[in-house]
Amino acid sequence: MRRRHGLVALIGLGCLSAAELSAQQGAAAAVQLLRSGSYDEAIAALDDLRTATPSASHLRWYARALAEVGEYEQALEVLDGAPAESGVALANVRGELLLATGDVDEARAAFTRGWEGGAPDAYPSRLNRAILDYDYGDRDAALAEFDTFIDLYNSATVLPARDLIAVARAVSYLGVTNKDLYQDALRAFDEAAAADPSSLEPALETGLLFLERYDGTSADTEIERVLGRNPNHARALVAKAKAMQFNGSMGVMETVEKALETNPSLVEALVFKARLHLAATDYEAAAEELEKALEINPASLEALSVRAAASFLRGDVQAFEADRDHVATIAPDYPELFNDIAELAVNHRKYREAAELAARAVEIDSRSWRGLTLLGQNQLRLGRIDEGKASLERAYEGDPYNPWVVNTLRLVDSFENFGVSETDKFVLVLHDREDDLLRTYVEEIAEDAFAALQARYAYTPPLPIRIEVYRDHADFSVRTLGLPGIGALGVSFGSVIAMDSPAAKRLGEFNWASTLWHEMAHVFHLGLTEHEVPRWFSEGLAVHEQHAARPGWGHQPSPGFLGRYKAGLFLPASKLDAGFVRPSYPEQVVDSYFLASIVFEYIEGRWGFDPILGMMHGYRDGKETEQLIEELLGVEPETFDEDFDRYFSGKFETALAALGPAEGEHGESILPQSPSQAAVEEPGRFTARMEAGLEAYELGDLDEAEEQFRAALRLFPEYGGPSSPYWYLALIHERRGELERAAQALARLNALNESNYEARLKQSEILEELGDTEGAASALESAVFIYPYEFELHERLARLHTELGQHEGRVRERKAILALDPVDRASAFYELALAQQAAGQRSEARRSVMNALEIAPSFDEALELLLELRGGGSER
Amino acid sequence: MRPLAYALVLLGALAAGAAAQSTHVLVVRGIGGDPEYRATFTEWAGSFVTAAGERLGVPAENIVYLAERPDDDPLAGERSTRDNVELAVAEIAQRAASGDRVVILFIGHGSYNRGESRFNLPGPDLSSAEFSVLLDQLSDQRVVFVNSTSASGGWLEDVSAPGRTIITGTKTGMERNETVFGGYFVAAFSEDGADVDKDGQTSMLEAFQYATREVTRAYETDGKLQTEHALLDDNGDGEGSTEIGEDALDGQLARAFVLGGGAAATPQTDDPVLARLYGERAELERRVTELRAIKDTMDPERYESELEELLLELALKNREIRQREGGTTP
Repeated sequence: MRRRHGLVALIGLGCLSAAELSAQQGAAAAVQLLRSGSYDEAIAALDDLRTATPSASHLRWYARALAEVGEYEQALEVLDGAPAESGVALANVRGELLLATGDVDEARAAFTRGWEGGAPDAYPSRLNRAILDYDYGDRDAALAEFDTFIDLYNSATVLPARDLIAVARAVSYLGVTNKDLYQDALRAFDEAAAADPSSLEPALETGLLFLERYDGTSADTEIERVLGRNPNHARALVAKAKAMQFNGSMGVMETVEKALETNPSLVEALVFKARLHLAATDYEAAAEELEKALEINPASLEALSVRAAASFLRGDVQAFEADRDHVATIAPDYPELFNDIAELAVNHRKYREAAELAARAVEIDSRSWRGLTLLGQNQLRLGRIDEGKASLERAYEGDPYNPWVVNTLRLVDSFENFGVSETDKFVLVLHDREDDLLRTYVEEIAEDAFAALQARYAYTPPLPIRIEVYRDHADFSVRTLGLPGIGALGVSFGSVIAMDSPAAKRLGEFNWASTLWHEMAHVFHLGLTEHEVPRWFSEGLAVHEQHAARPGWGHQPSPGFLGRYKAGLFLPASKLDAGFVRPSYPEQVVDSYFLASIVFEYIEGRWGFDPILGMMHGYRDGKETEQLIEELLGVEPETFDEDFDRYFSGKFETALAALGPAEGEHGESILPQSPSQAAVEEPGRFTARMEAGLEAYELGDLDEAEEQFRAALRLFPEYGGPSSPYWYLALIHERRGELERAAQALARLNALNESNYEARLKQSEILEELGDTEGAASALESAVFIYPYEFELHERLARLHTELGQHEGRVRERKAILALDPVDRASAFYELALAQQAAGQRSEARRSVMNALEIAPSFDEALELLLELRGGGSER
Repeated sequence: MRPLAYALVLLGALAAGAAAQSTHVLVVRGIGGDPEYRATFTEWAGSFVTAAGERLGVPAENIVYLAERPDDDPLAGERSTRDNVELAVAEIAQRAASGDRVVILFIGHGSYNRGESRFNLPGPDLSSAEFSVLLDQLSDQRVVFVNSTSASGGWLEDVSAPGRTIITGTKTGMERNETVFGGYFVAAFSEDGADVDKDGQTSMLEAFQYATREVTRAYETDGKLQTEHALLDDNGDGEGSTEIGEDALDGQLARAFVLGGGAAATPQTDDPVLARLYGERAELERRVTELRAIKDTMDPERYESELEELLLELALKNREIRQREGGTTP
């Protein structure tokens, strides 16, 4: 970037020499070049100016220009060579440069000189000293110093822009003690902008303040104002990247890198980049950036904190302690080291450690609202609800505008609407409106999953496992992230699971039981590895467990998935983590789930399950994926990747050959010719066959449709998506009265799709018609896992259980009907009583029939049943 | 307790007289607009007319059905113009005896504009103010008026009157989206499931509660925001209620109003033994109702024990009645 600027500078200077510039426009023009981001021209012009006239103003601007592109040492040299009489006037900029290069004591002395010597920028000097003290010294004393700026503002009639900026920044620091002062800070920034419309600082600082106050949209607007005038402004680019990250936009890394093109020594940018690498568990890349940052500024608290975090996350206790102790020595009141580590620990799912670290931050600074927020959130993630709520309430007192805190407290307050039931292994937390309906089913699946996983992993996770089920997806999202908008369906924080209830999504969007199984698998993975398992491993293995649990559960292949494989978008097996933490295309996270599960299918198929367990132990002991592949699978990671790729392409060989390069997610494509023609011309193409089948089906030509769908099936037999050939084959067979074949097609379809509710109902109907009562019941049982809110489903299931003599199941379904709050509750209670009577639950039956009669005392059948249950004999 | 005692006396009086009274039904099916709505409204209206006649025993001559296109609807009589509605109400007023029951059901689209609520009919619409005048002709009858249309909440204030039960499909004139309430209200009579207290008949209150609950369920199932909230008013204050408990201000008349009469609360018999048994059973049922009313003030175990005792007595009484009636199977 410096070179690029250099080239531009030569061109610029060719048109307009510094001397001409000086003559025509002088310093103002040079400053304008600086503010517009023409750094090389500005530096050249200012160099000429300060050589010709070494005034304090020219020197200050020249030093600032050099600082903007990271030439801190050169800038300091320039200032060192300045005339002695300029010392006070240059003290502030000198202090800033010293601080940027880590000489804290000298920086403080320089700021003091600027303030006490009455420099033109005395107030900015005083502010800088207070900020330095706030970070490295006594926070209370610094706050007192900030407070003096309120007096400055109140006593002055007119303040120049630089002093107004100083006031605004001081007041924003005071916001930690008085939240209303943030508004005053914004007002002062506005006044500064009005006082000097050419200055970029007010807009940049306003943007940063908005970002700090959780308003990403306003922050972005302000930052864009700066970048609109200076697209190369390094600090504005970093601010932009932070706003983008806050707003969930893509291209964060690219924006930071652009900032570093302007100023390769901008520590703030290097540290932010390191944070991004750490979030993606790329420790080496993070370390590289941090080393650069600390070379420039060895006293950077932010860089030291993030390096400490990296060491902590890698388990390098010695390095962690060294940085921690160093920060404690140079900045004893600085809580952010612990907050930073806590925040990164959350990214690595280390919630217990995050809570402990945040507690340390709060110990250091009881006004660390960030620390209290992190503490509260992580206490909640650990299932310590009361403690978490108390911490968040303290955070709210100090910072009532934090949306994470406000949302989470609202959610926690709504816990009074949730029922809590406990078993020996689980604490089930379900909304009152569906507690009665779902509790039994959730408990059954949780028990099944627990037993299966406990046997498989030979491990028992910490008990009890708390399972929270939210009927509102926004609540689940707040529980997980503190904000609405999460794309996931469930999350495991260890022995605390939060997930969507089937009510949170539209019918057919997901299978809640399969999701619960997935999250239960995470409970085991996190517990067994002491939260050291990488994301790709845990997600892939959890999907693999879903596949093993029930036919059709978990991710399944689609034309889109295989198309992206063909397009070369997939990462090598040993590097799948990046697909989760740093996706490079929109579907990559979802693709990575399925792809990772196939990795485990491959490993287990070739080496058995033991190496998988061994890898988990290895992760717990701090080993990394490539090392574990070598140690436990006995192959080089590159070989493993190649072998897996062969396995994958072999597994889907037929389908891959049958998919064109532009297949859509559901196999749809725009064919240039009619579907039937396309099928003739491209008989080996899945989409062509499907579309020809659909065309024939719609025209009522069932024979032709069957032929096309069967051909499609041969090409992509694993496809169970919404337009699967199995579905149409089932319909065709049903229409022809070939019920057994229809049932077979539906069985195949349901073994490839976990959330097709309609297919399960149809399968049940047909099986019942065929006399397979058990199969019919089984199909409906699996429909409950998708959408348990329909009376008809439970009525049918209750009837089938009755026919099968499965009294427990009949009772469960009758209870489900009652839980759905039917209008005719008396009948529902009566039916339940009959089921309980049949199941030998005499006392429960009596209670149920009493409930029926309490509603409807004239209910003859119920009265008769009551007599029967009370030993009065039966007339029937 | 005082309002409840009043209610019980009132219910007793209404029930005792029920058998001797006639029921008159007027169904008005307004403009459908789209073919889809026309079909739906025709189906609802037809189901209600059929249920009234075939399931609930309302004499055919007491059922009037006005439809948008009578030629396309074999059950319909005249066209549902405003004039014909006026005529039909006038005829019922002339035909009905004092104390007879009159049920009027509007099915179709409604509108609300500048404070005026209208029912969209072929030709001129019918406004709530105009219909209020028509209803005044039925001041000697027990009237239930059900307006299931969109924006029907705006009718409540105009048509509410003491002794009259008003049910609207929406809570205000501003709920203008198409409603599904009418379909569920009709289903309460045409299908099983709304007779919550198992007395063999569906009261207007049961039908209202059935329909409101099913409407809510339908919107939840579809994942849509509920845009209709039905109301019931029968204390004449022009303020409708949605949730109607045992001691609510609204619902006392609707609880006792049974379309078609159905089985009388106390069957008529010439057998003095049976008459005594019926009376004893009614007394036991009344005691259950009274006990239930004070449930919250009682120790739960004592409540349960007393309830069970009463219910067992009731069950045995039922057996006695069945034996005396000559049957055994409940």
